[in-house]
Amino acid sequence: MTLPLHHPDDQLLIGYASGQERAGKSLLVATHLAYCPDCRQRVASYEALCGEWFEDLPCPDHGALDALLDHMDGLLAAALPTAETASLKPLDAGSIRAWPVPEPLRSWLPKAIDTPTDDGTWREISKGVWLSGWDRTLSGTTICLLRMASGAPVPAHRHTADELLLVLRGAFRDEYGSYALGDVAQYVADTDHHAFGASEEDCICLFLLDGELIFLDEDGKPLQPTRS
Amino acid sequence: MPGPSAKDGSHSPDFDRPDTDRFGTLVHAVARDRDRMAFAALFRHFAPKILQYCLKLGADRGTAEELVQDVMLTVWLKAGSFDPAQATVGTWVFTIARNRRIDHLRKEMRPAPDPDDPAMTPASHATPEESAQLVQSSRQLHDAIGSLAANQSEVLRRSYFLEQTHEEIAKDTAVPLGTVKTRLRLALQHLKSSLRDEA
Repeated sequence: MTLPLHHPDDQLLIGYASGQERAGKSLLVATHLAYCPDCRQRVASYEALCGEWFEDLPCPDHGALDALLDHMDGLLAAALPTAETASLKPLDAGSIRAWPVPEPLRSWLPKAIDTPTDDGTWREISKGVWLSGWDRTLSGTTICLLRMASGAPVPAHRHTADELLLVLRGAFRDEYGSYALGDVAQYVADTDHHAFGASEEDCICLFLLDGELIFLDEDGKPLQPTRS
Repeated sequence: MPGPSAKDGSHSPDFDRPDTDRFGTLVHAVARDRDRMAFAALFRHFAPKILQYCLKLGADRGTAEELVQDVMLTVWLKAGSFDPAQATVGTWVFTIARNRRIDHLRKEMRPAPDPDDPAMTPASHATPEESAQLVQSSRQLHDAIGSLAANQSEVLRRSYFLEQTHEEIAKDTAVPLGTVKTRLRLALQHLKSSLRDEA
């Protein structure tokens, strides 16, 4: 087993631990955590730090809360301890070629991900590179899947805000390194990067974008959006 | 050689033990015996903190009180799932308060991995080298957090825990905006410097 080598930066991890980070990027961070014991313990350390800050909060008024405690009496009597009602989503739902994607992403994904690329599930943006027809916008972040065939380069594009990739299947490479299962690639706004599929099978990534994504033609001119 | 006081210490009753132990004992009593007195003791300690936390993050008084009840009811119901090996009671209550206020104040749900998910990679899948790395990485971050300069830790706290903007931090702490940004950058660099070696 090889654990992920590329992690979300500490800004994202501490933001996730404190609750400051919004839902969109939190979905990617949380799914990376499912792959990465190292970041799980890192987030736990940041939660402990927040726990200390929580304990240090000044507490000016105690009196008013006594009424609240009395009021809770009825609530406590009525409330039965919940048996863990966690209903796990079946593993075959949201799986890629029978490889289940971990939670929390699995519950978000449509059933069949690894479908043929010509049945309308995927939209080809250049030869061997597709975006999923499935997409979501969560707290202002656009979320979809990016698929790269072996050796296929993602066409030049420009993004005005942060871009994040999480590898769910296969591997890809760019000028910064090689990314495999569970790895996160994080690109700040207006940086150049050239990703291409680097595994025998198609590489499938969770793809997050804060702002607008504009693909460029060979002359570096913006292509017309081809959203279906 | 241990003196008599150390010997006496071994017989000290619960209320002499450090807070972390005392709260853990209270949570355990709630879980095992549905102990209302233990719950009331936890409420008296944590309810004001939850209230303060919610008020600081923009809740009005009524909503903040609702959240206090909501969080403390969760403590009552989930006491059995508290694991002292994972976190202190304070950190555990913080995570509940964090999740509830994201639900209530932002109308968002907080995505989190499911520890029962068979598709999750357990730490036990690590190779011996990776396991050693995990232990070292944890220790390094712990040291880095402990050695943060006070003014950097304060900017981190305001920025991430209280969710203040850089401008708000500058105003509240009477420090120039540029200094706030520098301190935040240095704080994050300091934490990052403890990061495992990236291949």
